[in-house]
Amino acid sequence: MRKALFVALALTVGSATAAPFVLPAKWMAANPSQAKTGGEVRIYSLSDYKTLNPFTSAEADSLPDLMSDVGLGGLFTQDPSTDKFIPHMADAMPTVSNGGKRFVVKLRQGMKFSDGQPITADDFVTTFKIHTDDKVGSNSYDSFFLNGKPITLKKIDDYTLQFDFPQVSSGAYVRMAFIPWPDHVFGPVYRSKGAEGIKAMWGISADPKTIVSPGPWVISNYQPGQRAVLRKNPYFGEWNKDGAGKPLPYLDTMSIRLLKDLNAGLAAYLAGQIDTFAPSKADDLAQIKRAIDSGNLKAQLFPNVSPNATSQWIVFNWNKAADPFKQKLFRDVRFRQAMSHIANRQGMIQLALGGLGTEVYTGVYPVFKNYQFASTPKYPYNLAQASKLLAQIGFTKKNAQGYLVDRTGKVLEFNLSTNAGNTVREQLGRIFADEAKKVGVKVNFTPIDFNNLVDQLTSKGPNRPFDAILLGLSGGDNIWPYGSNVIPCGGNLHAYNVPADGKCLTPQESLMTKLYYQGDQTLDDDARRKIGEQLSKAEALNQGFVYLVGTNYHVTFNSRLGGEYDRDLWDAYNLSRPYAHLTTYIK
Amino acid sequence: MLTFLLRRFLSAIPTLLLSSLLIFFIIQLAPGDFLTPARLNPNITPEHIAALQRNLGLDRPLPVQYWRWLTNMFQGDFGESFAYQQKVLALAWPRILNSMCLVLPYLILYYLIAIPLGVYGALRQNSLGDKTINVVMYILLGFPSFFLALLVIFGLLQLRYATGWDIPINGMTSDNYLSLSPLGKFLDIAKHVAIPALVLAVSDAAGLTRVVRGQMLEFLHADFVRTARSKGVSEFSAVYRHTLRNALVPIIAGLGGLLPAIISGAGFIEVVFAYPGITPMTLDAIASQDLFLIAGVTMLSVILLIIGNVLADILLSVVDPRIRYA
Repeated sequence: MRKALFVALALTVGSATAAPFVLPAKWMAANPSQAKTGGEVRIYSLSDYKTLNPFTSAEADSLPDLMSDVGLGGLFTQDPSTDKFIPHMADAMPTVSNGGKRFVVKLRQGMKFSDGQPITADDFVTTFKIHTDDKVGSNSYDSFFLNGKPITLKKIDDYTLQFDFPQVSSGAYVRMAFIPWPDHVFGPVYRSKGAEGIKAMWGISADPKTIVSPGPWVISNYQPGQRAVLRKNPYFGEWNKDGAGKPLPYLDTMSIRLLKDLNAGLAAYLAGQIDTFAPSKADDLAQIKRAIDSGNLKAQLFPNVSPNATSQWIVFNWNKAADPFKQKLFRDVRFRQAMSHIANRQGMIQLALGGLGTEVYTGVYPVFKNYQFASTPKYPYNLAQASKLLAQIGFTKKNAQGYLVDRTGKVLEFNLSTNAGNTVREQLGRIFADEAKKVGVKVNFTPIDFNNLVDQLTSKGPNRPFDAILLGLSGGDNIWPYGSNVIPCGGNLHAYNVPADGKCLTPQESLMTKLYYQGDQTLDDDARRKIGEQLSKAEALNQGFVYLVGTNYHVTFNSRLGGEYDRDLWDAYNLSRPYAHLTTYIK
Repeated sequence: MLTFLLRRFLSAIPTLLLSSLLIFFIIQLAPGDFLTPARLNPNITPEHIAALQRNLGLDRPLPVQYWRWLTNMFQGDFGESFAYQQKVLALAWPRILNSMCLVLPYLILYYLIAIPLGVYGALRQNSLGDKTINVVMYILLGFPSFFLALLVIFGLLQLRYATGWDIPINGMTSDNYLSLSPLGKFLDIAKHVAIPALVLAVSDAAGLTRVVRGQMLEFLHADFVRTARSKGVSEFSAVYRHTLRNALVPIIAGLGGLLPAIISGAGFIEVVFAYPGITPMTLDAIASQDLFLIAGVTMLSVILLIIGNVLADILLSVVDPRIRYA
């Protein structure tokens, strides 16, 4: 009797330590009990898949990413309702010591790869080793270093890991949250053949039977250039449940059509052959709406859900030793503020983006709502204000052609370029040049080849080969949403001022650099946000980049799909469904 | 014939060397390289870009890169794609086979449309039918094929809405392709290929129809046809054996270009119909400056162009008795 009791007790303790991750019901739009199991979701991708190898894949939404997608990463994931990190592959939040530099993480027990093998500390350690071997060329390489100093990872026991950071980092949870790949597959190859052996594994034509996934999906078939079919990893559901206790994912398969052309994607969506579509142009939205209204397409359309994590900007070159007139002009903050006043952002949204866009005033994309501050100054469209500022610099008179000239008769003009072929940027540039002409600034706008443009932008030294460039950046996260090589002086995308020695020129830049590192080395969310408020203010006052507009995020999906996030959680960062259709079900 | 083949083979060597040189260095003339977009990525450090450059061999001098590529090519290795980290041939071959599935039916349709229409136009010169064909062909000549394809897709979509038929709009296979029988697989691909092949054939046939019509008109009034007629050959024989055979000589001479056309794919039609042929891959490679993939595919088509021309010359000697190769 006592023995039986002991066994029962051991079983309950055992199952308690192997508790599954339960997807919070408050995230979801519908009650999990409504979800049905089985079926297929049909999606599309615009670019061809290049590899199945998680260590060499370079593009976003690659097949290894899709197969393993559990949010931001493995150990921890961001709760979309609070932006805080919660444990996923970790059993609990880590024990932090050594002043915020040491993290001891207990792994969730009972996790398995798609071949049924348990996921343990060895898998994390081997994956970490391969990512940090520079001969492999992994895209994640940089995320395991802080200012060039390596993060170290040690196995304490089979289910305990210890991370040691060279300094306190705001990105600690993101950096620790990488996806583990099987040690029993990659480890022996890496130990015997090194980086070359790893690079030769899991090419795009590899046999799907040899592929092992830690995530909800595993490849079942790939037809080059046509279609990839992922099937559910049944072991994933053993440690990932919904609020009603059902294993995730609900679906049996996810098929991805490869459509080179966006019009082909739209046609396939309108024909009901795929279930979701990412509309970006007003014309696409109009066609989808027409098809829904006429009853030909049973789908739902949600335009302007949020801004996208992207923006377009104009940057002025401060390193023009050969042209002291322009160098002095571009270094004058009043000139850059005047240029921001010239940017007719509403006009740009209406004309270039078909009304589907958002005004942008700082480097933090408006979708990162937790880092938007009322105290950040703005220089909105105001031609009178622009003229006033230009007069302060000494441009009071106009010549016969109507352009502003200084006391010596020099015309206020500069060259502005963008990458040819990007129709939106070409239109933004024209609108800017037209508005500039109204106040008497001559803008010579010329679209040029993309690679030439990037070479100009990333060039270094006292005399860089451009006046002004219109371009955009995208990506990042809402934990510390400032670019590591954009904000600090010396960064290769600190594009307005890149002297050979990488030194700051203005006190504002020095302040931004200081605040950037200060915030980046703060683990506490609220304290970091306070630093962010100061940084945003310094950035806006500096106007190193004159931010213009960003596109918006729209959602549409076939009515046969259920399982999306609560409507309040949708945005371009959280998207509209958790983790690559993890909770999607067929109604 | 054997000496002819040997001579052609020897003359092909300098041609190939020169074209490989041109292909490699013209691609290099374009500014930037495969890693240029990475430089705009706020998450990639310059040190990591330097490491990637080393790994891809982009830091070595150009002549060294060229020499390695050339010597590998003699062993049948066309280099490795940067983006896929795989051998070019292994990547390109399945795509080329897909393209062939589209290009072969297209070519058959192309000749089936152009030659009869051209012959008809010449025999019934200035009739209502001839004039109608002329007008339609004129319009098609000035119509880019990808635009025609977009219109066709729009039409198909409306047809689908109106009738509920499951008409393929793009791609090469249906979702359930893998579960089909061999015959079912063949029919499935045929169903997907039919429309793009027809669109391409119709829009391209305009030019050839006019050539055939012009050639036929020229030869219908030639002395030897008049002689044949006066000797009492049937009208059928005068038109098809004497005139058409001569009218087709320049078309056969042009067949040499077909072989590379088969592997170089169907151009923008493949993009618009989201067809997994070689063109979308080549366009991607050009956009991302995936050096060896562009160079490899281009070299393959140069080789096939040379073989195709030899074959065309042999064919020509069969059709035209005036041409003989010693």
